[in-house]
Amino acid sequence: MAVADPLAASSAVPAGEPPGGTAPTVVGRHDAFRRRLARLGWSFSAPALIVIAAVTIFPIVYSVIMSFSKVNVSGNGYSLNGLTLHNYSLVVNYGPWRYALVFTVLYTVVTVSIELVVGTAFALVLERMTRGRGLLMAILLIPWSLITVISAELWSYMYDQQYGIIDAIFRAVGLGSPSILGSAAPSIAALCVADIWKTTPFVAIIVLAGLVMLPRDVYEAAEVDGASGWTTFWKITFPLLRPTIALAVLFRVLQAFGLFDLPFVLTHGGPGFATTPLAILGYNVMFQDFLFGPGAAIATTTALLVVIGCLLFLKVFRAQVGSEIS
Amino acid sequence: MADITLEKVVKVYPNGFEAVKEVDLDVADGEFMVLVGPSGCGKTTLLRMVAGLEDISAGTMRIGGKVVNDLGPKERDIAMVFQNYALYPHMTVAENIGFALKLRKMPKAEIDRKVKEAADILGLTEWIDRKPGQLSGGQRQRVAMGRAIVREPSVFLMDEPLSNLDAKLRVQMRAEVSRIQRRLGVATVYVTHDQVEAMTMGDRVAVMRSGVIQQVDDPQTLYDRPCNMFVAAFIGSPAMNLYEATLEAGAGALRLGSQRIELPEAVRVARPTLAGYAGRAVVIGLRPEHLPAANERSDGNVIEGDVELVEALGNELQVHFSIDAERILAEGADNAGEVTLHHGEGVARVDTRSGMKPGSRGRFAVDTERMQFFDASDGLAIRE
Ligand SMILES: Nc1ncnc2c1ncn2[C@@H]1O[C@H](COP(=O)(O)OP(=O)(O)OP(=O)(O)O)[C@@H](O)[C@H]1O
Ligand SMILES: [Mg+2]
Repeated sequence: MAVADPLAASSAVPAGEPPGGTAPTVVGRHDAFRRRLARLGWSFSAPALIVIAAVTIFPIVYSVIMSFSKVNVSGNGYSLNGLTLHNYSLVVNYGPWRYALVFTVLYTVVTVSIELVVGTAFALVLERMTRGRGLLMAILLIPWSLITVISAELWSYMYDQQYGIIDAIFRAVGLGSPSILGSAAPSIAALCVADIWKTTPFVAIIVLAGLVMLPRDVYEAAEVDGASGWTTFWKITFPLLRPTIALAVLFRVLQAFGLFDLPFVLTHGGPGFATTPLAILGYNVMFQDFLFGPGAAIATTTALLVVIGCLLFLKVFRAQVGSEIS
Repeated sequence: MADITLEKVVKVYPNGFEAVKEVDLDVADGEFMVLVGPSGCGKTTLLRMVAGLEDISAGTMRIGGKVVNDLGPKERDIAMVFQNYALYPHMTVAENIGFALKLRKMPKAEIDRKVKEAADILGLTEWIDRKPGQLSGGQRQRVAMGRAIVREPSVFLMDEPLSNLDAKLRVQMRAEVSRIQRRLGVATVYVTHDQVEAMTMGDRVAVMRSGVIQQVDDPQTLYDRPCNMFVAAFIGSPAMNLYEATLEAGAGALRLGSQRIELPEAVRVARPTLAGYAGRAVVIGLRPEHLPAANERSDGNVIEGDVELVEALGNELQVHFSIDAERILAEGADNAGEVTLHHGEGVARVDTRSGMKPGSRGRFAVDTERMQFFDASDGLAIRE
């Protein structure tokens, strides 16, 4: 996917840019040496880059072309017949697409926010633990390590109206027996819960990795300066953790925006279009309705949105933390 | 404002290493206590225990009369300059310095004023909006200092706060620190490796070695009357010359290698116990400035040595010589980048007019009145 590029750019930020232009510029022989080294690097990477181009760039480019083409589908294949913007106008005026766009964005914002808060809390607890940290981490990672299709299947059992445990709990506390996956709002909530359950550990581990890297002595200085635990978190830990959190957010947003397997298995995108994200919509349009042109247009717009989102995010991220950590 | 009292304070690290051993130390209210000792002797550990950053394995620590063993740094009202600065990487110089004040909910205008004042004293005004990552080591160190001096704590703890500054700035800062400390009248513990800082800044100096405090005295007493060979060798630069010598029967003279030094009546009267060492080995200590070049007028005791190296310092010559007596090397005395001592080597500070040259034979007058005596077996000074 196109997403590999912004990530590579983000990791190059701290090393590549001398803070405030105070570093002396490298000139002369050293410069030439660096260029030679860079050429060598490119030549070593070339084979891999060619393979990557073949398996990722080509399909992307092809799908973009397809999205701008009149596609004729027949019994023995399809053909592209001339350029058009029709696919896009179809998609933009298609009610389910508009819904899926809003749904995907909101879903991403809500789940990632919750995962971030809960994951950070877990990480803070884990960091303070002296005993049993390994064990707790292993337990926490189980949801993350389960294959999504399987965990989605497990959740669908739990949400089941007849023999699901959640239904049993609802009845036990006197909330009746709602059909969770049968109506829109509850099934959206159910989807969010399943996603948060699965992905929070991932966020927790990333944040924990960031936490243990923070300099201990800075905390001692804060203690001597008289900072309380709460103040220390907001004035020291959080600002220093921002790059890590940003990374976690980036990973998660990319994943959440491409949401597919969880609703595909758990809710089948329903009821109606209630839990149909852009990825499932694109898939359905393309491979169930065989509308290749509009399907490609959905894929292209989604990818474009992701790229724009990431670039915006990286820009803000750079402005905020680029100069801070050196 | 408060005094600090340590009673049999011990620090055992989790790995079993005993870094501080039964330390007793009193720092009076307003007193400037300098803590010196070789690298790894436990200075930082002791300071961190006073700060509350390291728990106390045994013993009692009081600040202002109150037992603080179980109190955190916050409740001890201390300001500390960390050996490795420990600046907040995400805050500007001004924010770093003002952080503690902000936590105390001081009005913004007052914080700004205090931060400005501190930055001015420390010569940091130019960098006030920079982040620590964009500062030099010396600038960072001054920020760390600024963080401490804007506060008005009960206790100042400073761990080698000027170690990274250039000579000129160091002289300037030394005076500033002393001035601020006196103005605030705050009990201060100040760790340093710098002989000059130790001698000039401290009301008293505590010399530490392998977790044990060797001697606590005002700088002059420490210099003139070290309690053991370690302190004698550690304080002063170049270090005191320590030689093994034999006291002749009757304690009237010393044998230093093949040479003989008469001990005047006054020396023996001042140290009656010296008589007990008659016929035995003792260690004698002579500071380089107590070995001036001998001239025609020097009567009595003169020792001769082969001049190996002459360092002209402008106002005097530092003459490295060697004699055929056994040189004693007290552990940790190899401070201040001194030339490694060979067998029998010593240093004398002589007048530039003596014109001593390497390869010649130097004659040095021995100031027996200022000579120090130590028990060769336990290294303790023979004073009485
Ligand atoms: N966390 C620790 N665990 C075990 N041993 C430690 C620990 N911290 C320090 N030590 C040991 O304790 C001794 C004293 O350390 P400390 O940092 O107090 O020395 P110092 O006198 O400040 O030295 P320097 O002048 O080099 O700063 C050293 O031998 C050190 O190796
Ligand atoms: Mg230290």
